[in-house]
Amino acid sequence: MMVTEQLFFEDVQEGNPLPDLTFGPLTAPILMRWSAAIENWHRIHYDRPFAIQHDHLPDLLVNGTLKQQFIMQALRRSAGVRGWVWKARFQFRGMNLVGETLRVWSNPAQKRELGDYGLVALDIGILNDEDVETTPGRAVVALPYRDREAAGVPYPFTPPDIDL
Amino acid sequence: MSTMENSLLTPEVKAFVGVQSTEEIACDVVERGAVRRFVQASLDDDPLFHDIAAAGRHGGPVAPALFPASMFRRDFGSEDILLERALDPDFDGLVGSATQGLPPLPLPPTSLLNGGTEVEIFSYVRHGEQVKARSRYENIYEKAGKSGPILFVEIVTDYVNQAGTPLIRVRKTQIRRRI
Repeated sequence: MMVTEQLFFEDVQEGNPLPDLTFGPLTAPILMRWSAAIENWHRIHYDRPFAIQHDHLPDLLVNGTLKQQFIMQALRRSAGVRGWVWKARFQFRGMNLVGETLRVWSNPAQKRELGDYGLVALDIGILNDEDVETTPGRAVVALPYRDREAAGVPYPFTPPDIDL
Repeated sequence: MSTMENSLLTPEVKAFVGVQSTEEIACDVVERGAVRRFVQASLDDDPLFHDIAAAGRHGGPVAPALFPASMFRRDFGSEDILLERALDPDFDGLVGSATQGLPPLPLPPTSLLNGGTEVEIFSYVRHGEQVKARSRYENIYEKAGKSGPILFVEIVTDYVNQAGTPLIRVRKTQIRRRI
């Protein structure tokens, strides 16, 4: 589903989560389609006998690169067309298996006002059906101000000389 | 310098900090069909990736932010590892280098885990553009683990378009232990 309303810096409250985005259930054909799209032939993502019998995994694994895309998509949709996802970092701390439905969450942790736009640091992650966290991380998005139409987030994005 | 017993962080390994790869050019330009397959496979139906009006701010339809990192694939005429290892029951299907075009570190046999990824995004690549990449060993350090030293290898890869405009910067941390 598309997010059609622009999120503004003033709308964000620290500790008030942004909307989650859900993906799945991630079936074997969906995992195979991703492997084919990026030409990644690692068998643990589509060859069940190899994954279980050779690599001793519980089942086919959801690709880490696919989980990255889910996080980036959720952040992009939250930032809106006039915002910008500046950066994101994440760790693959747990496996996600075929058949799971994944929920990307983000929670504003810190805000910083700059001249033409504001920065929001977000705690982020991916929960599975049992609310187990597998991909914790942190992201920073740039958002426009509601009341300063002439200003905005520049494109291409030039990183500010500060960090969050 | 570490003085840890069985240290992996030898002077020879430490000397790789700052070493860069040559600039690599993706074998294909950003193709509309490749973008379509990528966004459909990642369950992303944003018109930004195909609709000129929706992508107006970017000068035309674009690819997802991390698409450039997936563009470095097997070129025409290159060796076919899948066919060469077709009869190897232990071949896991992984093709390509874990070192992003960098020379391998002079290490004894080690396991390799993904210790985390950080991306910075500067602009989207448009359909029809070319992508180039260059990597470097940003940092190499060691920590003590329960079963011996753990080596952390940070590799930074910068992706740019044909004009040199920055697209993304990807920082990967590899975790390596003796096998």
